[in-house]
Amino acid sequence: MLIKYWPKETKIPFMRYRYVGVVLSLIMMVGSIYLVMTRGLNLGVDFAGGSVVELRQTDTVTVADVRSQIPGGLTVNSATDANGAELVVIRFGEVEGSLLGPEFAALTDEEKADRASAASNTFVVKTIKQAFNLTDEDILRNDSVGPKVSGELFREGLIALGVATLMMFFYIAFRYTWAYAVGGIAALIHDAIGTIGLFSLLQIQFDLTSIAALLTIIGYSVNDSVVVFDRIREIRRKYKQMPATEVIDIATNQTLSRTFLTGGTTIIAVMAIVIFGGPVLQGMSVAMIWGIVIGTYSSIYFAAAIVLMLGVDINRKPVEDTPGFEAMP
Amino acid sequence: MLQFPPWKVLLVLVVLIWGIVMALPNVMNMSNAPGFLPKQSVNLGLDLRGGVYLEMEIPPAEVISSRLSVFARDVRSAFARTSDREPIYFQPELRGRTMLIKLSRPDADGNFPVEEALRRLDRINGPIEGGLAGGKTFEMTRAGQDGILVSVSAASESAMLADALSKTMTIVRRRVDPDGVAEISLTPSGNNRIVLEAPGEPDPERLKTLLSRDGRMTFNLVETSPADIASAQAGIVKPGFRLLEGPETGPLLVREIPEVVGADIATASQGNDEANRPQINFRLNANGARKFYETTRNNSGKLFAIVLDDVIMSAPRINEPIPGGNVRITGSFTIEEAQDLAAIIAAGEMPAKVQFLDQRVVSSTLGEDSIESGFRAAVVGLSLVAFFMILAYGLQGMFAVLSLVANVILIFAALSLLGATLTLPGIAGIILTIGMAVDANVLVFERVREEQNNGRSIWTAVQAGYERALITILDANITTLFAAIILYSLGSGPVKGFAVTLALGIITSVFTAFVFTRMMTVFWLKTFKTKRLAV
Repeated sequence: MLIKYWPKETKIPFMRYRYVGVVLSLIMMVGSIYLVMTRGLNLGVDFAGGSVVELRQTDTVTVADVRSQIPGGLTVNSATDANGAELVVIRFGEVEGSLLGPEFAALTDEEKADRASAASNTFVVKTIKQAFNLTDEDILRNDSVGPKVSGELFREGLIALGVATLMMFFYIAFRYTWAYAVGGIAALIHDAIGTIGLFSLLQIQFDLTSIAALLTIIGYSVNDSVVVFDRIREIRRKYKQMPATEVIDIATNQTLSRTFLTGGTTIIAVMAIVIFGGPVLQGMSVAMIWGIVIGTYSSIYFAAAIVLMLGVDINRKPVEDTPGFEAMP
Repeated sequence: MLQFPPWKVLLVLVVLIWGIVMALPNVMNMSNAPGFLPKQSVNLGLDLRGGVYLEMEIPPAEVISSRLSVFARDVRSAFARTSDREPIYFQPELRGRTMLIKLSRPDADGNFPVEEALRRLDRINGPIEGGLAGGKTFEMTRAGQDGILVSVSAASESAMLADALSKTMTIVRRRVDPDGVAEISLTPSGNNRIVLEAPGEPDPERLKTLLSRDGRMTFNLVETSPADIASAQAGIVKPGFRLLEGPETGPLLVREIPEVVGADIATASQGNDEANRPQINFRLNANGARKFYETTRNNSGKLFAIVLDDVIMSAPRINEPIPGGNVRITGSFTIEEAQDLAAIIAAGEMPAKVQFLDQRVVSSTLGEDSIESGFRAAVVGLSLVAFFMILAYGLQGMFAVLSLVANVILIFAALSLLGATLTLPGIAGIILTIGMAVDANVLVFERVREEQNNGRSIWTAVQAGYERALITILDANITTLFAAIILYSLGSGPVKGFAVTLALGIITSVFTAFVFTRMMTVFWLKTFKTKRLAV
């Protein structure tokens, strides 16, 4: 079918422009870090702690009504769910201690710090229920994360990212060489930083599902790099005298149609989540699309370019042929 | 690579048919199907069914200090005067995780009997429960010339926490689900946390109230003199008594030492009084019934307070001795309150007050919406990817799409087999897998295309395509599998669901893309003797 219109052999001299690529990547990474430092991340309750409560918006329950009914310190916004219904989203940390009743006032300071978040949640939900005469079923969502857990979740998220990176480093080093491992991991870090930059730029909520998105992107990034590495290794074995730049160019060109097809189908699938999956998955999916785009780019311009700098040779021992592989004419 | 002996074909077909059978209950009602077919659909996570997720913690400091205060009572009896030994006078001083036993009277020479005290303490200091390593529950060190510091070693602390955790789990289950019918799940997490998941429960506050009670039930005799109550309210409580309040009874002075305690209660349930108002019935065990009978016989005319967590529930007057041990609490309860209180009383006392760390509540309407939008996204995603693949690769693309469908079926079958839970991010994982699963096929097709372009015949091209793509496919998928496994071990609820479907999807996609597509291709080539694959 249409794939036959894809040129049989592309000859794009990728590596000639590698410095342009590396500079662009560095600019993006520095920009991302700058964004995170200045704009910060829009941390969700998973990591920031506090509560988020969602109600369905009706004629009697509007954002303004909710705002006027609950005493200070709350952020009330509207949102749209997957089916187009309007929601009222209330986000808050801890409400004024004096609102939380005598039982709370009697606690020690340490206990207060531990329980303020949960007590605030109880208070706000109760107030809303009474003010608008709502039942439990009208509270669509009510998440509350205490300070202890939010800190832990954040730490665990970072640890997960770190451990995943290390495991992939050693896997690539084991299958290829250190040079490839460094290239693959550099591309992975490039993609992770770029994606975090997007979270900051668009102020997409950063929560546990974002960590899931980041890990997926990391997986995809390495997946993509490995496909190119595999081809580099293969071509290197066949043409031992060929200059490294040329080896990498041939490898990237030969895998180019696969790169676009797989990237394309993955983006199509994730696009379906963005459009139809509802607000919970939207942020995660937008980040994933961006991650796939820069992941594809970085496997060529970051991973391969770094391998070129560090050396493409797989091993110094005489090259043995993989069984079943015949040499090309 | 291209040989498919009958047994291999059979194996592939068996796997696929097994997948279809396992996945079937998810799309149709199987309740009338023959018995050997599975009827259980995939477990849905709380975010899809609605319900309450509650994570609670047993504070270690509280567990330790409550154990220390129990130990203080043992110390009191160990230091008491008996027929053959002198008493040791002391003052226990609880300091969070440690307790200082301060001896208060020196002997005739002005020395404190620390050695004797240590000897007696050693006798009542049991080994660490359940510990294989040995060692004693408490550690005693001399503190100055008149003190002994009681502390808890790390090993003993973790044994105490383990004990408190398992007790608390039992109590939580009995309180939340006294009849054992609700579909709640309780999972320990770490050494002092419990995650409670209650699908279908809309109100977290009810659960929290139910679980934040200590559940310490006592029956205390009451001192009725108004003058004593007045002076107690002014701050001077008669020794041996406590001033407690009750919504029905007002302030009352009760004896500090209870006559009957929670451990004496056998069962408790909600019932109705003569006017058909809800009340709480309970039955005492033999020991409790005897104590109750004796107390009521000896204290006719007095008030007998039923106290739960230092609040007087009711204080009926003793008119006659009550044998049999059947007791009730009347009051103005709703049925639900009476049921909850009965569950609290029957479940017994918590080793320590739990603290709620985080909660996630999703209403069932939102859950249904999520299923709907997730399903829609999956269908759209699958159709678009299918369209794209067929457009690009024609017939081979069609094979890839069939593999993709088989892949989704196998993911559901594996989810059922493992009893894993499908969450909304889990659905996203499936959709992502749909996008990425074609990668293996694309790698192969591209290889075949190259080989054909290099002038190979169709059979050698297909052979070489699959052979050469295999290593790449494995390498590339193993790295993503790493990410999924780490995600799973990080695992909190919904994200874990994402990791599960992603991991399963990777494994099943390698099977469907590499084995199933290949089989279809080989059969096609054999049947139609095609000269060139249109890839």
